[in-house]
Amino acid sequence: MAYGTALAVLADPTRRQVFERLRGGPRPVNKLAQGLPVSRPAVSQHLKVLKDAGLVEERRKGVRRIYSLRREGLMELREWLDSFWGDALDAFKLEAERSYKAKKRDR
Amino acid sequence: MNERVAIAPVRKTVHVKVPIAHAFEVFTSGLTRWWPHNHGIGKKPIQKVQMEPRLGGRWIEIAEDGTETSAATIILWEPPHRFAMLWQVNAQWKPDLAMKSEVDVRFTADGPEATNVELVHHKFETMGAEAGASMRKDVDGGWPGLMQRFVEEAERGRN
Repeated sequence: MAYGTALAVLADPTRRQVFERLRGGPRPVNKLAQGLPVSRPAVSQHLKVLKDAGLVEERRKGVRRIYSLRREGLMELREWLDSFWGDALDAFKLEAERSYKAKKRDR
Repeated sequence: MNERVAIAPVRKTVHVKVPIAHAFEVFTSGLTRWWPHNHGIGKKPIQKVQMEPRLGGRWIEIAEDGTETSAATIILWEPPHRFAMLWQVNAQWKPDLAMKSEVDVRFTADGPEATNVELVHHKFETMGAEAGASMRKDVDGGWPGLMQRFVEEAERGRN
């Protein structure tokens, strides 16, 4: 259910802005905060939430912390979204097996 | 651009613990019972999806206001082993009778109580190189606009 956490976390518009800024490449907090309508500590807080959800990773460079997107976290989200026929077949399987069990029971 | 360059098919399989006849029946006549309701091509919210279970039958979406949109036509009907349909949907996910990619669904018994279902969506190249590649990406990948709809829904819930 990693994607569930990712979706919930990205539902916050400011957090999504922070996340989208990281698509341009790794950045330190002060760069990410520039031009956003929230304080730097607030951006740090959003980064922490994104990190806990596995969407962002952090590394230290001297005294600075550099944030970047975490590829695996995005893959989980992508795999969940990436399944038009896959989703359909899953739904089909559930209904086929449910109705067959019901039919056997009624015999 | 050469439209005849083949585009790789999208292939999905599922194993279901039901006899082949039941699997075929649920997939076709029973479509309305399992088709995910967010998987619509019409503009309006779908109330249900139906398949006319015969050669020449249509795959129809019925909107909440009763509007019917046909998305596909059955061109091969071999119950309970196989059926195929013309997928008459364009790269913008609008119904379009000129579109002719194909969805081929095969049912293979795995003993008396289980069935393998293989779905192959292919012939994307008949849509033209660009549109075909786009449709291929969409059906192999996510439902178009799903992320956007999720975001809208999530934001609506917050207000």
